[in-house]
Amino acid sequence: MTALQTNQLTKKYGKKTVVDSVNLHIPQGTIFGFLGKNGAGKSTLINMVTGLIKPSSGSFEVLGQPEKRLESIQKEIGVLPDYSTFYDDLTAFSHLNYFQKLLKQSLSKQEIIRVLSQVGLEDAVHVKVKKFSFGMKKKLGIAQSIIHQPKLLFLDEPTSGVDANAVLNIHSLIKEIAARGTTIFLTSHNLNEVEKLCDEIAIMNKGRIQTQGTMKQLREQYQQDIVVHIHHRSLSEKEQTQLKISLTELAVKIEIGGDASEIIVQSSELIPQVNKQFVRQDIDVFGLEMEQPSLEEIFLNLE
Amino acid sequence: MFTVGFREFKSLFTSIRSILIIVVLFGVTAGTAKLVRQFEAPLHELGLGNDAYAMGLMLLLILAASLFVTGLSHNIVNKEIDTRTIRFLATKTSRRNIIIGKFIGSFLFWAICITVALLLIIPFSKSFSMLTLVQSIIFVSYFIGLTLFLSTIIPKPSLSMFLGIIISIALPVLGLWSSGTDNLFVKVIGYVTPYFYYLQEEDSYYYSYFVVLFPILFILLSLVIFRKRDL
Repeated sequence: MTALQTNQLTKKYGKKTVVDSVNLHIPQGTIFGFLGKNGAGKSTLINMVTGLIKPSSGSFEVLGQPEKRLESIQKEIGVLPDYSTFYDDLTAFSHLNYFQKLLKQSLSKQEIIRVLSQVGLEDAVHVKVKKFSFGMKKKLGIAQSIIHQPKLLFLDEPTSGVDANAVLNIHSLIKEIAARGTTIFLTSHNLNEVEKLCDEIAIMNKGRIQTQGTMKQLREQYQQDIVVHIHHRSLSEKEQTQLKISLTELAVKIEIGGDASEIIVQSSELIPQVNKQFVRQDIDVFGLEMEQPSLEEIFLNLE
Repeated sequence: MFTVGFREFKSLFTSIRSILIIVVLFGVTAGTAKLVRQFEAPLHELGLGNDAYAMGLMLLLILAASLFVTGLSHNIVNKEIDTRTIRFLATKTSRRNIIIGKFIGSFLFWAICITVALLLIIPFSKSFSMLTLVQSIIFVSYFIGLTLFLSTIIPKPSLSMFLGIIISIALPVLGLWSSGTDNLFVKVIGYVTPYFYYLQEEDSYYYSYFVVLFPILFILLSLVIFRKRDL
Protein backbone atom coordinates (compact mmCIF):
# COMPACT_ATOMS: atom_id res chain seq x y z
CA MET A 1 0.00 0.00 0.00
CA THR A 2 1.08 3.56 -0.69
CA ALA A 3 1.70 5.72 2.36
CA LEU A 4 1.42 8.97 0.45
CA GLN A 5 0.55 9.77 -3.11
CA THR A 6 0.15 13.22 -4.59
CA ASN A 7 -1.19 14.01 -8.04
CA GLN A 8 -0.37 17.39 -9.54
CA LEU A 9 -0.60 18.88 -6.06
CA THR A 10 -0.38 22.66 -6.25
CA LYS A 11 -0.59 25.53 -3.80
CA LYS A 12 -0.78 29.13 -4.88
CA TYR A 13 -0.81 32.25 -2.74
CA GLY A 14 -2.14 34.95 -5.03
CA LYS A 15 -0.02 34.79 -8.15
CA LYS A 16 2.84 33.01 -6.40
CA THR A 17 3.00 29.25 -6.86
CA VAL A 18 4.61 27.76 -3.78
CA VAL A 19 4.06 24.09 -4.65
CA ASP A 20 3.81 23.38 -8.35
CA SER A 21 2.20 20.19 -9.69
CA VAL A 22 3.99 17.80 -7.35
CA ASN A 23 3.65 14.09 -7.97
CA LEU A 24 4.96 11.89 -5.19
CA HIS A 25 4.61 8.22 -4.53
CA ILE A 26 5.90 7.01 -1.19
CA PRO A 27 5.60 3.29 -0.44
CA GLN A 28 4.84 2.17 3.10
CA GLY A 29 7.74 1.34 5.36
CA THR A 30 10.27 3.72 3.82
CA ILE A 31 12.12 6.66 5.27
CA PHE A 32 11.57 9.31 2.66
CA GLY A 33 13.88 12.31 2.70
CA PHE A 34 12.64 15.61 1.40
CA LEU A 35 15.28 18.19 0.66
CA GLY A 36 15.17 21.75 -0.50
CA LYS A 37 16.34 25.21 0.31
CA ASN A 38 14.34 27.56 2.53
CA GLY A 39 11.20 28.57 0.67
CA ALA A 40 11.38 25.59 -1.70
CA GLY A 41 7.87 24.54 -0.64
CA LYS A 42 8.68 21.55 1.60
CA SER A 43 6.68 22.68 4.64
CA THR A 44 3.78 23.84 2.47
CA LEU A 45 3.62 20.37 0.94
CA ILE A 46 3.63 18.72 4.39
CA ASN A 47 0.97 21.15 5.60
CA MET A 48 -1.22 20.25 2.64
CA VAL A 49 -0.98 16.49 3.02
CA THR A 50 -1.57 16.74 6.78
CA GLY A 51 -4.73 18.80 6.25
CA LEU A 52 -3.45 22.06 7.69
CA ILE A 53 -3.74 23.99 4.46
CA LYS A 54 -5.95 23.45 1.44
CA PRO A 55 -4.43 22.69 -1.96
CA SER A 56 -5.21 25.11 -4.78
CA SER A 57 -5.46 22.18 -7.19
CA GLY A 58 -4.47 18.55 -7.51
CA SER A 59 -5.21 15.76 -5.12
CA PHE A 60 -3.53 13.45 -2.64
CA GLU A 61 -4.08 10.24 -0.77
CA VAL A 62 -2.71 9.44 2.66
CA LEU A 63 -2.65 5.76 3.67
CA GLY A 64 -5.10 5.11 0.87
CA GLN A 65 -7.57 7.77 1.99
CA PRO A 66 -8.41 10.87 -0.07
CA GLU A 67 -8.11 14.41 1.30
CA LYS A 68 -11.75 14.66 2.37
CA ARG A 69 -11.38 11.60 4.61
CA LEU A 70 -8.15 12.80 6.20
CA GLU A 71 -9.78 13.54 9.56
CA SER A 72 -10.85 9.91 9.82
CA ILE A 73 -7.23 8.70 9.83
CA GLN A 74 -5.72 11.33 12.12
CA LYS A 75 -4.90 8.60 14.66
CA GLU A 76 -2.63 6.97 12.10
CA ILE A 77 -0.64 10.08 11.27
CA GLY A 78 1.98 11.81 13.37
CA VAL A 79 3.10 15.33 12.56
CA LEU A 80 6.01 17.41 13.77
CA PRO A 81 5.31 20.83 12.26
CA ASP A 82 8.14 23.09 11.14
CA TYR A 83 7.38 25.56 13.90
CA SER A 84 6.87 24.13 17.37
CA THR A 85 5.20 26.39 19.91
CA PHE A 86 3.37 25.01 22.87
CA TYR A 87 1.13 26.15 25.70
CA ASP A 88 3.33 27.98 28.18
CA ASP A 89 1.12 27.07 31.12
CA LEU A 90 1.38 23.31 30.54
CA THR A 91 4.17 20.90 31.45
CA ALA A 92 5.65 18.41 28.99
CA PHE A 93 3.55 15.69 30.63
CA SER A 94 0.33 17.76 30.46
CA HIS A 95 0.94 18.44 26.78
CA LEU A 96 1.25 14.78 25.91
CA ASN A 97 -1.70 13.95 28.13
CA TYR A 98 -3.81 16.57 26.36
CA PHE A 99 -2.71 15.43 22.90
CA GLN A 100 -3.27 11.74 23.62
CA LYS A 101 -6.80 12.55 24.78
CA LEU A 102 -7.42 14.46 21.55
CA LEU A 103 -6.33 11.33 19.72
CA LYS A 104 -8.67 9.26 21.90
CA GLN A 105 -5.78 7.20 23.27
CA SER A 106 -5.66 5.91 26.81
CA LEU A 107 -1.99 5.95 27.73
CA SER A 108 -1.03 5.51 31.35
CA LYS A 109 1.17 8.00 33.20
CA GLN A 110 4.14 5.61 32.85
CA GLU A 111 3.60 5.29 29.11
CA ILE A 112 3.58 9.05 28.65
CA ILE A 113 6.78 9.36 30.71
CA ARG A 114 8.34 6.59 28.60
CA VAL A 115 7.65 8.57 25.40
CA LEU A 116 9.21 11.65 26.98
CA SER A 117 12.24 9.57 27.98
CA GLN A 118 12.58 8.31 24.41
CA VAL A 119 13.20 11.86 23.23
CA GLY A 120 15.45 12.73 26.18
CA LEU A 121 12.98 14.76 28.23
CA GLU A 122 12.94 12.43 31.25
CA ASP A 123 14.26 15.24 33.48
CA ALA A 124 11.67 17.74 32.29
CA VAL A 125 8.48 15.70 32.61
CA HIS A 126 6.84 18.12 35.03
CA VAL A 127 8.54 21.31 33.90
CA LYS A 128 6.36 23.99 32.32
CA VAL A 129 7.11 24.54 28.65
CA LYS A 130 7.76 28.26 29.17
CA LYS A 131 11.05 27.20 30.78
CA PHE A 132 12.02 24.99 27.81
CA SER A 133 14.84 25.79 25.43
CA PHE A 134 14.29 25.63 21.66
CA GLY A 135 15.87 22.19 21.51
CA MET A 136 13.65 20.88 24.32
CA LYS A 137 10.57 22.16 22.51
CA LYS A 138 11.73 20.35 19.41
CA LYS A 139 12.04 17.13 21.43
CA LEU A 140 8.55 17.64 22.84
CA GLY A 141 7.35 18.18 19.28
CA ILE A 142 8.79 14.81 18.31
CA ALA A 143 7.27 13.18 21.40
CA GLN A 144 3.78 14.46 20.55
CA SER A 145 4.15 13.17 17.00
CA ILE A 146 4.94 9.60 18.08
CA ILE A 147 2.81 9.23 21.20
CA HIS A 148 0.11 7.28 19.33
CA GLN A 149 2.55 5.14 17.32
CA PRO A 150 1.40 6.40 13.92
CA LYS A 151 1.67 4.47 10.67
CA LEU A 152 2.89 7.56 8.85
CA LEU A 153 5.10 10.14 10.50
CA PHE A 154 5.86 13.59 9.09
CA LEU A 155 8.97 15.14 10.61
CA ASP A 156 9.69 18.66 9.45
CA GLU A 157 13.28 19.51 10.39
CA PRO A 158 13.40 17.24 13.47
CA THR A 159 16.98 18.04 14.40
CA SER A 160 17.29 21.74 13.66
CA GLY A 161 18.35 23.64 16.76
CA VAL A 162 19.09 20.46 18.71
CA ASP A 163 22.49 19.69 20.27
CA ALA A 164 24.81 17.06 18.77
CA ASN A 165 24.06 14.36 21.36
CA ALA A 166 20.35 14.83 20.94
CA VAL A 167 20.72 14.63 17.16
CA LEU A 168 22.25 11.16 17.53
CA ASN A 169 19.41 10.11 19.85
CA ILE A 170 16.82 11.41 17.41
CA HIS A 171 18.50 9.53 14.57
CA SER A 172 18.39 6.31 16.60
CA LEU A 173 14.77 6.97 17.45
CA ILE A 174 13.87 7.54 13.78
CA LYS A 175 15.56 4.25 12.84
CA GLU A 176 13.77 2.46 15.69
CA ILE A 177 10.38 3.85 14.63
CA ALA A 178 11.04 2.93 10.99
CA ALA A 179 12.02 -0.58 12.04
CA ARG A 180 8.50 -0.99 13.46
CA GLY A 181 7.14 -0.41 9.95
CA THR A 182 6.25 3.26 10.26
CA THR A 183 6.69 5.27 7.08
CA ILE A 184 8.67 8.41 7.79
CA PHE A 185 8.55 11.55 5.71
CA LEU A 186 11.54 13.61 6.77
CA THR A 187 12.52 17.09 5.68
CA SER A 188 15.88 18.42 6.63
CA HIS A 189 18.51 20.97 5.78
CA ASN A 190 21.10 18.52 7.03
CA LEU A 191 22.09 16.62 3.91
CA ASN A 192 24.26 14.14 5.81
CA GLU A 193 21.29 13.29 7.98
CA VAL A 194 19.09 12.58 4.98
CA GLU A 195 21.85 10.59 3.30
CA LYS A 196 22.38 8.55 6.46
CA LEU A 197 18.73 7.86 7.31
CA CYS A 198 16.66 7.84 4.15
CA ASP A 199 15.84 5.05 1.73
CA GLU A 200 14.55 7.42 -0.89
CA ILE A 201 15.05 11.12 -1.46
CA ALA A 202 13.30 13.89 -3.34
CA ILE A 203 14.81 17.28 -3.91
CA MET A 204 12.47 20.21 -4.24
CA ASN A 205 13.34 23.52 -5.81
CA LYS A 206 11.03 26.48 -6.42
CA GLY A 207 7.95 24.38 -5.66
CA ARG A 208 8.80 21.55 -8.03
CA ILE A 209 10.31 18.12 -7.45
CA GLN A 210 13.60 18.38 -9.23
CA THR A 211 14.75 14.84 -8.74
CA GLN A 212 13.68 11.76 -6.83
CA GLY A 213 15.13 8.34 -6.20
CA THR A 214 17.32 6.22 -3.93
CA MET A 215 20.81 7.48 -3.09
CA LYS A 216 22.20 5.00 -5.62
CA GLN A 217 19.88 6.24 -8.35
CA LEU A 218 20.69 9.85 -7.59
CA ARG A 219 24.41 9.12 -7.65
CA GLU A 220 24.11 7.43 -11.00
CA GLN A 221 21.98 10.25 -12.31
CA TYR A 222 24.27 12.98 -11.11
CA GLN A 223 27.55 11.13 -11.14
CA GLN A 224 30.20 13.15 -12.82
CA ASP A 225 33.88 12.18 -12.98
CA ILE A 226 34.97 9.60 -10.44
CA VAL A 227 38.07 10.28 -8.40
CA VAL A 228 40.07 7.12 -7.61
CA HIS A 229 42.70 7.23 -4.86
CA ILE A 230 45.28 4.43 -5.16
CA HIS A 231 47.86 3.60 -2.49
CA HIS A 232 50.76 1.57 -3.85
CA ARG A 233 54.42 0.71 -3.26
CA SER A 234 57.01 3.40 -3.89
CA LEU A 235 57.59 4.04 -7.56
CA SER A 236 60.74 5.17 -9.27
CA GLU A 237 60.51 8.15 -11.64
CA LYS A 238 60.78 5.77 -14.61
CA GLU A 239 57.88 3.64 -13.31
CA GLN A 240 55.82 6.77 -12.71
CA THR A 241 56.32 7.91 -16.31
CA GLN A 242 55.47 4.48 -17.73
CA LEU A 243 52.33 4.23 -15.61
CA LYS A 244 51.20 7.69 -16.67
CA ILE A 245 51.57 6.78 -20.35
CA SER A 246 49.63 3.53 -19.88
CA LEU A 247 46.74 5.35 -18.19
CA THR A 248 46.47 8.23 -20.66
CA GLU A 249 43.65 6.68 -22.66
CA LEU A 250 41.66 5.61 -19.59
CA ALA A 251 41.79 8.67 -17.38
CA VAL A 252 40.80 12.29 -17.66
CA LYS A 253 43.39 13.39 -15.16
CA ILE A 254 46.40 11.51 -13.81
CA GLU A 255 48.53 12.45 -10.85
CA ILE A 256 51.13 9.78 -10.08
CA GLY A 257 52.94 10.19 -6.79
CA GLY A 258 55.68 8.28 -5.04
CA ASP A 259 53.38 5.95 -3.06
CA ALA A 260 49.88 7.27 -3.86
CA SER A 261 48.15 8.37 -7.03
CA GLU A 262 44.94 10.15 -7.90
CA ILE A 263 43.25 9.21 -11.14
CA ILE A 264 40.04 10.70 -12.46
CA VAL A 265 37.92 8.51 -14.74
CA GLN A 266 34.58 9.19 -16.41
CA SER A 267 32.93 5.86 -15.58
CA SER A 268 33.15 3.33 -12.78
CA GLU A 269 33.57 0.63 -15.43
CA LEU A 270 37.07 1.98 -16.16
CA ILE A 271 38.33 1.41 -12.63
CA PRO A 272 39.15 -2.33 -13.10
CA GLN A 273 41.12 -1.41 -16.23
CA VAL A 274 43.07 1.19 -14.26
CA ASN A 275 43.84 -1.48 -11.68
CA LYS A 276 44.99 -3.85 -14.45
CA GLN A 277 47.60 -1.32 -15.60
CA PHE A 278 49.09 -1.30 -12.11
CA VAL A 279 49.15 -5.11 -12.02
CA ARG A 280 50.62 -5.32 -15.55
CA GLN A 281 53.54 -3.13 -14.45
CA ASP A 282 54.03 -5.24 -11.34
CA ILE A 283 53.04 -2.46 -8.95
CA ASP A 284 51.60 -3.67 -5.63
CA VAL A 285 48.34 -1.89 -4.84
CA PHE A 286 47.62 -1.57 -1.10
CA GLY A 287 44.32 0.22 -1.37
CA LEU A 288 41.87 1.71 -3.81
CA GLU A 289 39.23 4.23 -2.83
CA MET A 290 36.52 5.59 -5.01
CA GLU A 291 35.24 9.05 -4.20
CA GLN A 292 31.48 9.17 -4.77
CA PRO A 293 29.48 12.38 -4.95
CA SER A 294 27.79 13.15 -1.66
CA LEU A 295 24.18 14.24 -1.46
CA GLU A 296 25.50 17.71 -0.86
CA GLU A 297 27.36 17.64 -4.18
CA ILE A 298 24.28 16.32 -5.97
CA PHE A 299 22.19 19.00 -4.27
CA LEU A 300 24.63 21.73 -5.27
CA ASN A 301 24.75 20.44 -8.84
CA LEU A 302 21.01 21.00 -9.07
CA GLU A 303 21.31 24.68 -8.21
CA MET B 1 -14.60 18.22 21.43
CA PHE B 2 -14.94 17.81 25.21
CA THR B 3 -11.14 17.53 25.51
CA VAL B 4 -10.75 20.88 23.73
CA GLY B 5 -13.66 22.29 25.75
CA PHE B 6 -12.23 21.14 29.07
CA ARG B 7 -8.81 22.59 28.22
CA GLU B 8 -10.43 25.92 27.29
CA PHE B 9 -12.53 25.91 30.44
CA LYS B 10 -9.54 25.05 32.62
CA SER B 11 -7.33 27.71 31.11
CA LEU B 12 -10.05 30.34 31.69
CA PHE B 13 -10.85 29.12 35.18
CA THR B 14 -7.36 28.63 36.54
CA SER B 15 -6.44 32.22 35.84
CA ILE B 16 -7.07 35.12 38.17
CA ARG B 17 -9.65 36.32 35.64
CA SER B 18 -12.35 33.93 36.78
CA ILE B 19 -12.12 35.12 40.37
CA LEU B 20 -12.22 38.73 39.20
CA ILE B 21 -15.26 38.03 37.02
CA ILE B 22 -17.13 36.40 39.93
CA VAL B 23 -16.17 39.25 42.27
CA VAL B 24 -17.30 41.84 39.73
CA LEU B 25 -20.55 39.97 38.99
CA PHE B 26 -21.29 39.57 42.67
CA GLY B 27 -20.15 43.04 43.74
CA VAL B 28 -21.85 44.96 40.97
CA THR B 29 -25.04 42.88 41.24
CA ALA B 30 -25.25 43.55 44.96
CA GLY B 31 -24.40 47.23 44.46
CA THR B 32 -26.79 47.67 41.57
CA ALA B 33 -29.53 45.96 43.52
CA LYS B 34 -29.48 48.84 46.03
CA LEU B 35 -29.85 51.33 43.21
CA VAL B 36 -32.43 49.25 41.39
CA ARG B 37 -34.68 49.26 44.45
CA GLN B 38 -34.99 53.03 44.08
CA PHE B 39 -35.97 52.75 40.38
CA GLU B 40 -37.88 49.50 40.50
CA ALA B 41 -41.08 50.88 38.94
CA PRO B 42 -39.57 52.46 35.77
CA LEU B 43 -37.30 49.45 35.22
CA HIS B 44 -40.25 47.15 35.64
CA GLU B 45 -41.98 49.06 32.85
CA LEU B 46 -38.95 48.33 30.66
CA GLY B 47 -39.50 44.62 31.29
CA LEU B 48 -36.52 44.11 33.60
CA GLY B 49 -38.30 42.00 36.18
CA ASN B 50 -39.33 42.31 39.81
CA ASP B 51 -36.40 41.01 41.81
CA ALA B 52 -33.89 43.80 42.49
CA TYR B 53 -30.94 41.44 42.62
CA ALA B 54 -31.99 39.67 39.45
CA MET B 55 -32.46 43.06 37.84
CA GLY B 56 -29.04 44.10 39.08
CA LEU B 57 -27.41 41.14 37.43
CA MET B 58 -29.37 41.55 34.21
CA LEU B 59 -28.55 45.26 34.11
CA LEU B 60 -24.88 44.52 34.55
CA LEU B 61 -24.98 41.87 31.84
CA ILE B 62 -26.95 44.05 29.46
CA LEU B 63 -24.46 46.85 29.80
CA ALA B 64 -21.21 45.00 30.21
CA ALA B 65 -21.50 41.31 29.21
CA SER B 66 -20.26 42.07 25.72
CA LEU B 67 -17.17 43.75 27.12
CA PHE B 68 -16.54 41.00 29.68
CA VAL B 69 -16.76 38.24 27.11
CA THR B 70 -14.75 40.10 24.51
CA GLY B 71 -12.06 40.94 27.04
CA LEU B 72 -11.68 37.29 28.03
CA SER B 73 -12.35 35.41 24.83
CA HIS B 74 -11.58 37.70 21.89
CA ASN B 75 -8.64 35.43 20.97
CA ILE B 76 -10.30 32.09 21.67
CA VAL B 77 -9.42 30.74 18.21
CA ASN B 78 -6.99 33.14 16.58
CA LYS B 79 -4.48 32.98 19.44
CA GLU B 80 -3.97 29.31 18.62
CA ILE B 81 -3.60 30.21 14.95
CA ASP B 82 -1.22 33.07 15.74
CA THR B 83 1.01 30.95 18.01
CA ARG B 84 0.52 27.96 15.67
CA THR B 85 -0.50 25.64 18.52
CA ILE B 86 -3.55 25.04 16.32
CA ARG B 87 -1.34 22.79 14.19
CA PHE B 88 -1.09 20.32 17.05
CA LEU B 89 -4.85 20.35 17.50
CA ALA B 90 -5.87 20.26 13.85
CA THR B 91 -3.69 17.24 13.16
CA LYS B 92 -5.22 15.35 16.09
CA THR B 93 -8.89 16.19 16.04
CA SER B 94 -11.43 17.52 13.58
CA ARG B 95 -11.91 21.21 13.01
CA ARG B 96 -15.54 20.81 14.08
CA ASN B 97 -14.38 19.48 17.45
CA ILE B 98 -12.05 22.44 17.89
CA ILE B 99 -14.73 25.07 17.23
CA ILE B 100 -17.49 23.40 19.23
CA GLY B 101 -15.01 22.51 21.99
CA LYS B 102 -13.89 26.13 22.26
CA PHE B 103 -17.50 27.25 22.54
CA ILE B 104 -18.33 24.63 25.17
CA GLY B 105 -15.29 25.59 27.27
CA SER B 106 -16.10 29.28 27.23
CA PHE B 107 -19.82 28.64 27.75
CA LEU B 108 -19.14 26.46 30.79
CA PHE B 109 -16.84 29.09 32.26
CA TRP B 110 -19.48 31.80 32.01
CA ALA B 111 -22.30 29.53 33.14
CA ILE B 112 -20.35 28.67 36.29
CA CYS B 113 -19.31 32.27 36.94
CA ILE B 114 -22.92 33.47 36.70
CA THR B 115 -24.20 30.56 38.80
CA VAL B 116 -21.60 31.20 41.51
CA ALA B 117 -22.40 34.94 41.51
CA LEU B 118 -26.12 34.18 41.87
CA LEU B 119 -25.44 31.66 44.64
CA LEU B 120 -23.34 34.22 46.51
CA ILE B 121 -26.27 36.66 46.36
CA ILE B 122 -28.71 34.23 47.99
CA PRO B 123 -27.94 35.40 51.57
CA PHE B 124 -29.02 38.91 50.52
CA SER B 125 -31.83 38.16 48.08
CA LYS B 126 -33.15 35.16 50.07
CA SER B 127 -34.06 33.54 46.78
CA PHE B 128 -32.53 31.87 43.77
CA SER B 129 -34.04 32.76 40.43
CA MET B 130 -33.63 29.91 37.97
CA LEU B 131 -35.21 32.07 35.27
CA THR B 132 -32.60 34.79 35.78
CA LEU B 133 -29.84 32.19 35.65
CA VAL B 134 -31.10 30.68 32.39
CA GLN B 135 -31.75 34.07 30.82
CA SER B 136 -28.34 35.38 31.88
CA ILE B 137 -26.57 32.35 30.45
CA ILE B 138 -28.48 32.63 27.17
CA PHE B 139 -27.66 36.33 27.02
CA VAL B 140 -23.95 35.72 27.59
CA SER B 141 -23.92 32.84 25.11
CA TYR B 142 -24.82 35.33 22.37
CA PHE B 143 -21.54 37.13 23.01
CA ILE B 144 -19.56 33.89 23.40
CA GLY B 145 -20.79 32.89 19.95
CA LEU B 146 -20.03 36.33 18.57
CA THR B 147 -16.46 36.39 19.93
CA LEU B 148 -15.91 32.86 18.65
CA PHE B 149 -17.03 34.00 15.22
CA LEU B 150 -14.91 37.16 15.31
CA SER B 151 -11.90 35.20 16.52
CA THR B 152 -12.36 32.78 13.62
CA ILE B 153 -12.65 35.37 10.87
CA ILE B 154 -10.02 37.78 12.21
CA PRO B 155 -6.54 36.24 12.10
CA LYS B 156 -4.75 38.63 14.50
CA PRO B 157 -5.63 38.65 18.23
CA SER B 158 -4.80 42.36 18.49
CA LEU B 159 -7.27 43.17 15.72
CA SER B 160 -10.00 40.94 17.17
CA MET B 161 -9.47 42.67 20.55
CA PHE B 162 -9.82 46.09 18.92
CA LEU B 163 -12.85 45.21 16.80
CA GLY B 164 -14.35 43.19 19.67
CA ILE B 165 -14.25 46.21 21.98
CA ILE B 166 -15.78 48.48 19.34
CA ILE B 167 -18.54 45.95 18.65
CA SER B 168 -19.15 45.32 22.34
CA ILE B 169 -19.64 49.05 22.91
CA ALA B 170 -21.69 49.57 19.75
CA LEU B 171 -24.02 46.58 20.25
CA PRO B 172 -25.53 47.65 23.61
CA VAL B 173 -25.85 51.23 22.35
CA LEU B 174 -27.57 50.15 19.12
CA GLY B 175 -29.57 47.45 20.89
CA LEU B 176 -30.92 49.82 23.54
CA TRP B 177 -31.42 52.61 21.02
CA SER B 178 -33.40 50.30 18.75
CA SER B 179 -35.96 49.71 21.49
CA GLY B 180 -36.92 53.37 21.56
CA THR B 181 -36.53 54.65 18.01
CA ASP B 182 -38.41 54.60 14.75
CA ASN B 183 -35.19 54.69 12.71
CA LEU B 184 -35.57 51.67 10.41
CA PHE B 185 -31.84 50.97 10.15
CA VAL B 186 -31.34 50.96 13.92
CA LYS B 187 -34.49 48.89 14.38
CA VAL B 188 -33.25 46.23 11.94
CA ILE B 189 -29.91 46.07 13.72
CA GLY B 190 -31.82 45.74 16.97
CA TYR B 191 -33.29 42.44 15.80
CA VAL B 192 -29.86 40.88 15.51
CA THR B 193 -28.81 41.95 18.99
CA PRO B 194 -30.08 40.17 22.10
CA TYR B 195 -31.34 43.47 23.53
CA PHE B 196 -34.51 43.52 21.42
CA TYR B 197 -35.54 40.15 22.84
CA TYR B 198 -34.60 41.00 26.42
CA LEU B 199 -36.39 44.34 26.50
CA GLN B 200 -39.84 42.92 25.77
CA GLU B 201 -42.69 43.10 28.25
CA GLU B 202 -42.11 40.92 31.31
CA ASP B 203 -44.87 38.50 30.34
CA SER B 204 -43.11 38.02 26.99
CA TYR B 205 -39.91 36.75 28.65
CA TYR B 206 -39.95 33.72 26.35
CA TYR B 207 -38.66 36.09 23.62
CA SER B 208 -35.27 35.75 25.26
CA TYR B 209 -35.17 32.06 24.30
CA PHE B 210 -35.01 33.08 20.64
CA VAL B 211 -31.55 34.43 21.40
CA VAL B 212 -30.32 30.80 21.60
CA LEU B 213 -30.48 30.75 17.81
CA PHE B 214 -27.76 33.36 17.49
CA PRO B 215 -24.90 31.43 19.12
CA ILE B 216 -25.94 28.40 17.05
CA LEU B 217 -25.74 30.56 13.94
CA PHE B 218 -22.36 31.98 15.01
CA ILE B 219 -21.01 28.46 15.63
CA LEU B 220 -22.21 27.26 12.22
CA LEU B 221 -20.67 30.27 10.46
CA SER B 222 -17.41 29.77 12.38
CA LEU B 223 -17.39 26.10 11.38
CA VAL B 224 -17.89 26.89 7.69
CA ILE B 225 -15.09 29.46 7.73
CA PHE B 226 -12.72 27.41 9.91
CA ARG B 227 -13.07 24.33 7.71
CA LYS B 228 -11.89 26.29 4.68
CA ARG B 229 -9.12 28.08 6.52
CA ASP B 230 -5.39 27.49 6.07
CA LEU B 231 -3.87 26.97 9.50
